[in-house]
Amino acid sequence: MKYIALLLMVGCSTTVPVTMKFPEAPGNLVMMPCPQLQKVEEDAKLSDVAKTITNNYGTYYECAVKNDAWIEWYEKQKLIFEGIK
Amino acid sequence: MWLLHWLPNWIFYAVLIAGVVGLVISYFVRFLSFIPFVYVYKTPIQLVSIIAIAIGTFMSGAIHDNDAWEARVKEMQDKVAAAEVQSKEENVKIVEKVVTKTQVIKTRGEDIVKYVDREVVKYDTKFAPGGECEIPKEFIKALNDAAEAPK
Repeated sequence: MKYIALLLMVGCSTTVPVTMKFPEAPGNLVMMPCPQLQKVEEDAKLSDVAKTITNNYGTYYECAVKNDAWIEWYEKQKLIFEGIK
Repeated sequence: MWLLHWLPNWIFYAVLIAGVVGLVISYFVRFLSFIPFVYVYKTPIQLVSIIAIAIGTFMSGAIHDNDAWEARVKEMQDKVAAAEVQSKEENVKIVEKVVTKTQVIKTRGEDIVKYVDREVVKYDTKFAPGGECEIPKEFIKALNDAAEAPK
């Protein structure tokens, strides 16, 4: 009798036939970590200071773009994932 | 259900029909008394027929359930495939946006550096160390401290 019960239970078991791959990252560009900000030499000229500040602002905004991209990626992927159910 | 993958569906329907037919025949066995085999085995035939009906009914339900699940799996597979395509399309849009914005930032930075090289350099001697308006070391230190990454 226990073998029949076991047989019936085995008959009901199944593997998950549908799997979704983890969504890919939006390109290699956003996978790179944000670089360190530049520092100013002690004997730097005014123009060097201005250039360093300019470069650092640029670095910040490039990093902000990557961050925004990841936020957008997450929101879009979440919407797509929820749309499947 | 593994049994459904081994045997064709019609077998289970045949078992069900055979069970019903066997049960009906066993009830009308008095009219078939001219066939000794049926009359002698009336009770076993009824028993086997009831078991066949039970198995047939169970398996018919299982077939229906299996078909419903397979349809659901197919639907989900289609949805997942569509979602993966949509995901890739969204990634392309995001990458395009990142590339465009990064290019704008780089170009703007280059323009500003050109401006510094053209206009701000005029004040380099004025703000040189030992010059008229030397840049204080504290100012440089404050800038460098702000640029330091948190540990």
